[in-house]
Amino acid sequence: MPKTPSKIDLLQGTLDLIVLKLLRGGAANGWQLTQSIQAISRGVLDVNYGSLYPALRRLEARGWVAAHWAPSENNRRARYYELTAAGRKQLEAERASWERFSHALGLILQAD
Amino acid sequence: MLERWKLRARALLRARSLEAELDEELRYHLDAETARLVVRGMSPHQAALEARRAFGNPTQLKEEIRDSWGRRWLERLGQDARYAWRSFRRAPAFAITVVSTIALALGLNTMAFTIFDAYVLRPLAVRDPSSLFQISWSDRAGNPHAFTWREYQALRADRSALSESFAFRLLYTRIDSAPAFGQLVTGNYFSMLGLAAALGRTLVSSDASEAGSAPVVVLSHDAWTSRFGSDSSIVGKTIHIRGQSLQVVGVLAPGFAGLGDVPLDFWVPLTMNDLLFAGDSLFGDRAPESISVVGRLRPEVGPGRAAAWLESWLRVRHADAREPDRPARARLISRATGIELSPQFALFFAPIATAFILVLLIACANVANMMLARGLARQPEIGIRLSLGAARSRVLAQLLTEAVLLAVPAALAGFALSRFTIGAGVRLMFATIPAELASYLRIVPLAPDGRVFLFMLVASVASALVFGLAPALQATRPDIVRATRGDFDGGYRPSRLRNGLVIGQVTVCVLLLICAGILLRGVGRLQRVDVGMRTHGVLRLDVNERAGARDHALAVLRTQPDVRALAAASSPPFGGRYPVVVGTSSRQDARPLFYNFVSSAYFDLLGMPLIRGRRFTPDEERGGAPVVIVSESTARTFWPDRDPIGQQLRLAPESAGTRLATRRDARVVGVVPDVALGTIIDPFDAAVAYYPGGPDHAGMALLARVTGEPEATMRHLDATLAQLAPAAVEDMHTLDVYMLGAVYPFRAAYWVAGALGAIALLLTVTGVYGVLSYVVAQRRKELGIRVALGAATSAIVALVLRQSLRLCAIGLAAGMLLALGVARLFAANIVRLGTFEPAAFAGGALLVLVSCVAAAYVPSRRAGRADPMEALRSQQ
Repeated sequence: MPKTPSKIDLLQGTLDLIVLKLLRGGAANGWQLTQSIQAISRGVLDVNYGSLYPALRRLEARGWVAAHWAPSENNRRARYYELTAAGRKQLEAERASWERFSHALGLILQAD
Repeated sequence: MLERWKLRARALLRARSLEAELDEELRYHLDAETARLVVRGMSPHQAALEARRAFGNPTQLKEEIRDSWGRRWLERLGQDARYAWRSFRRAPAFAITVVSTIALALGLNTMAFTIFDAYVLRPLAVRDPSSLFQISWSDRAGNPHAFTWREYQALRADRSALSESFAFRLLYTRIDSAPAFGQLVTGNYFSMLGLAAALGRTLVSSDASEAGSAPVVVLSHDAWTSRFGSDSSIVGKTIHIRGQSLQVVGVLAPGFAGLGDVPLDFWVPLTMNDLLFAGDSLFGDRAPESISVVGRLRPEVGPGRAAAWLESWLRVRHADAREPDRPARARLISRATGIELSPQFALFFAPIATAFILVLLIACANVANMMLARGLARQPEIGIRLSLGAARSRVLAQLLTEAVLLAVPAALAGFALSRFTIGAGVRLMFATIPAELASYLRIVPLAPDGRVFLFMLVASVASALVFGLAPALQATRPDIVRATRGDFDGGYRPSRLRNGLVIGQVTVCVLLLICAGILLRGVGRLQRVDVGMRTHGVLRLDVNERAGARDHALAVLRTQPDVRALAAASSPPFGGRYPVVVGTSSRQDARPLFYNFVSSAYFDLLGMPLIRGRRFTPDEERGGAPVVIVSESTARTFWPDRDPIGQQLRLAPESAGTRLATRRDARVVGVVPDVALGTIIDPFDAAVAYYPGGPDHAGMALLARVTGEPEATMRHLDATLAQLAPAAVEDMHTLDVYMLGAVYPFRAAYWVAGALGAIALLLTVTGVYGVLSYVVAQRRKELGIRVALGAATSAIVALVLRQSLRLCAIGLAAGMLLALGVARLFAANIVRLGTFEPAAFAGGALLVLVSCVAAAYVPSRRAGRADPMEALRSQQ
């Protein structure tokens, strides 16, 4: 069976990059991350909040983020995620490849 | 990577708490989002709904997350196992056939591997066995050399390659008239190998500090239990070895019985050498090269560098030796295991291993065929599963799970079978070997260890893949999806894979049976072969060379009325291959020449008539005169056109061993017929020269032609000698026993090949039967229509038989071609085995052909009885 890249695959990849980037600013819990995505992308990106959690677990499984429980601002326990050294390296690598990709795409789209 | 596995392990161990954490995390998100929306003015109910909507389907997300924990495969495995179990319960005959087929083949292979492991792979139970190497060297003429005592002392002092070393000398003797194998060792032997005593003590360096100072002996644990009845007060008692009284100072702990493949019975200090061996003193000026050295290689020095070092060391020491005696090559043999896995050994072992693996492959082919048939019978089920959306990989995994589940009980049963066959095989060997030789038979412990279990694991998983994968791939071929359209048996498709498997089985089966046949013919020929000598009624005695022992024994023998004649030979019949030198006639054509020292009476005693010339005179025999008697073939090859009598037989200078030094130029005085040389597998017509040597010369085995029943006379003589010449006789057997011993390995090889061939035949017959039964069932409809259209029963039977015969014929042809190649290989190594044995080829092929026809006959009869009505009714 030929494997075609599905939309979900693409979305997952980008979501991972976004999460890594956001966590570079410091530890955050899942809900805070959804708020950040909304705020920074000015609502352009319509992320399904739920899909953030599988992404977080995936990043955790790869050792790019580490998780711990800590009290949140409303005095309830929340699961906080932070970037590991491996995650930091991964972010740099992914950002570089994304920039190459978008640059190339830009060149193609501008060419007439 | 490590992180992921840690997470997975945690997921398995703490499944419940992980679930709870996930729930809490998701709940937190929903609550926080709801709170945010309430702050922005929504009603709590509305806010909760909105938060949920924006979140998506939590159940699906949780499922996705659980997948990332990697627990799914376990759940699936459980599912598949349950499913496979249910399907086996529905078809128990199938499951039992598969398990027993694979168990049989795995058991045989495990048995073979256990033996291989015990000798070749299992490290000896000594300190750091992998660094132990036995060293030796050969000179430019190719003669092997051991070391002198002084050389050992110098070697030991030079620690540039060997950090420590011990020396030893083998001693074959009798203790209480039973054969015993022992070693004379230096005092550091036990401490260097890190061995402890179970009783008393081991040898220490003070035991071997001064020649003849410590008449002590250490027994192996096995010798202590089998020969001394585990006597707990053995320490301090005295035993007699070669007439010397030796005090037992200890019994070794079990688990070690010497370096090498023959378990030893005792160890004596090397300084006892001169009391146990005749000849020049080991410690004097004319010391013989008679000790072997084992050293521990320095970790930073590899075997290659060590050999180079030894070569240069030897060159310095032998700088003034004659050209052919100069050291040429040093050799290091690993003593880490019983037998070093050298290229030569691998070459010897490869055909045996191949035969066993072929049987396993036949069994796998058999089971693969059964699985194929079953897979096709299950096409509707698999088709429906595939069309309901099961991924192909999922169905494949399930079919492979079935295969593995069949392989596990097969491995267990196979292991039990291997334990049984090893026990039975050892008993069988002791039961079939001539009784007198049984006491020489030493077998290392054949207990299974980790490597054996690993082998079982790998072999069973590999066979599960072999017999499970191909059928699974075939059964899940995408076009099977047609099946969902009700197109379940839309026509019979001859499966190339299935036919290929049957052909392969027949090929291997024919190959193994023909090999067994060739070996059987070889054994028969060896047993019937006319050795050219009258060996029945002749005893061989080996006496030790201690002061006067030989003369005593000879004196006693000469007065015995049941000894009719007495002769001597340095290489008695069937005692092993004769030594070889290079000989030339006066015309300078150098040829290899076997030689033997014999007494004048040798030829008459063995019934070899003189063809030309005369025997040795008593003076020639006593003085070792430069005269020689040659065989007919020797005379023909060296002097084809003239009378051999009076000619000079010259030895090439490099072949001058110590005993031959005085006979460089010998005059031919007689010609005797070609007879079997030291072995019965070498050709009889090789060039051989008999030099004179008397029975009173050291190193000569005695031959006695006796009256009466040889065995009984031998026992009587042995008792008489024990009384009148105590401890003089080292060994005493009839020549018949030596001959049986020479034939025995071939007989054993024939049994193994025959047993493997029989098992292969059994598997092939069931394989052919199974495949044809299946094919007939598949073609039931078609055959029914043929009957309905008027085909005779015989025509239908012939139709099915023809199909099986075609496969069989291809397999037969391939197998016979392969056998021809193997037979050439046999013949190249062992002369007595024929290159082409028509009887073996015809017999093997016929047996397989008849078996195939018989196996095919039952299903084809069934096909002939096809009922047209039933066939037509089943047409939808």
